[in-house]
Amino acid sequence: MTESSSNLLYRRLAISSPRVVVRVLVLSILWVVLSGNDVKSWIVGAPAVLLAVCWSFILAPASYWPLSFGGACRFIPFFLGKSFHSGIDVMRRTFSPVMPVNPGLVDYATFLPDGPPRILFANTISLLPGTLSVDLQGNVVIIHTIDKNQPIWTNIHNLEWHVAALFGVHPGGQK
Amino acid sequence: MESFDVLGSGVIIMGLPFFLSGTVGLLRFPDIYTRLHALTKADNVGLGMIILGLILQAGSWAVVAKLFFIWILVLIASSASCHLVARRALQKRIQPWSRK
Repeated sequence: MTESSSNLLYRRLAISSPRVVVRVLVLSILWVVLSGNDVKSWIVGAPAVLLAVCWSFILAPASYWPLSFGGACRFIPFFLGKSFHSGIDVMRRTFSPVMPVNPGLVDYATFLPDGPPRILFANTISLLPGTLSVDLQGNVVIIHTIDKNQPIWTNIHNLEWHVAALFGVHPGGQK
Repeated sequence: MESFDVLGSGVIIMGLPFFLSGTVGLLRFPDIYTRLHALTKADNVGLGMIILGLILQAGSWAVVAKLFFIWILVLIASSASCHLVARRALQKRIQPWSRK
C-alpha cells in the first residue's frame, strides 16, 4: 500500500467509524455462515474480514444509500423473473439449429445517480434477457444486445424504474 | 421430508440443461460478447435452480443460509466479471460480430 492510499484509508475510516462497525459485522456474519461456525477458522477469517473492510473503504468511500422496503419487494421478484426469462432466452438461441443472433452495441443514458444505483443498474442489465452491460461512461451505459430486432428498451426502462424505486431516487433529481 | 427430497432432485435436474446451454453457447456463439451472454445468463439460472434444489433438501437453517449466500456471491462475481471482460474487450477494440 502506498503512503497516499494509507492516508486516504485512515481518513475514510476515521470519518465513518459507525460504518466500519457495520461492515465488520456484516462480513463477520458472512464468514460465520460460510465457514460453518468453526472457531479455528477465524485464523484465516479475522485477517480476511479486516482486509476486506479496509479494502472496501479504499474502493468505495462510505456513502449512505437507504434501501426502500417497498422498492425491494418489487425489485426482487422482477429480478428473479427476468433472470429466469433470460436463461430460457439464451437456451433457445444456443440450441436452435439456425442460431438466431443479430448482435450489436447500443448506448443508453440513465437518470440514475452515480454510486450504488448506477452500479446495480449496470450489473443487472447483464442479467436481463438479451442485454449485457459493456461499459459505463458517466451516465451512459454501453449495452451489447444479442438481437437488435428484440425490443430491449421496455426491459431497460423497467429495470431503471425498479432500481430507482429500490434506492428511493426520482427521475431528474438526486433523491 | 421425503417429498422435499424428490422435489429438490427435480429442481436440480431442471437446472442442468441451463448449464449445458451455457457451455453449448460458449462453443457455438460467434464472438466474445455473445459468448458472455450464454455463460453468465444460462449459468446463473442453472446455479440458481441447483441452489434452490439443495435448499429444499437441506437439513438445517445454517445450510440454507450458506447456500443462499453462495448464490448471492456468485451472482455478484459473475455479473461483475462479465462486465469487466466485456469492457476490456471493447477497450482493445474487439468489434462485436454482426450479421452480413
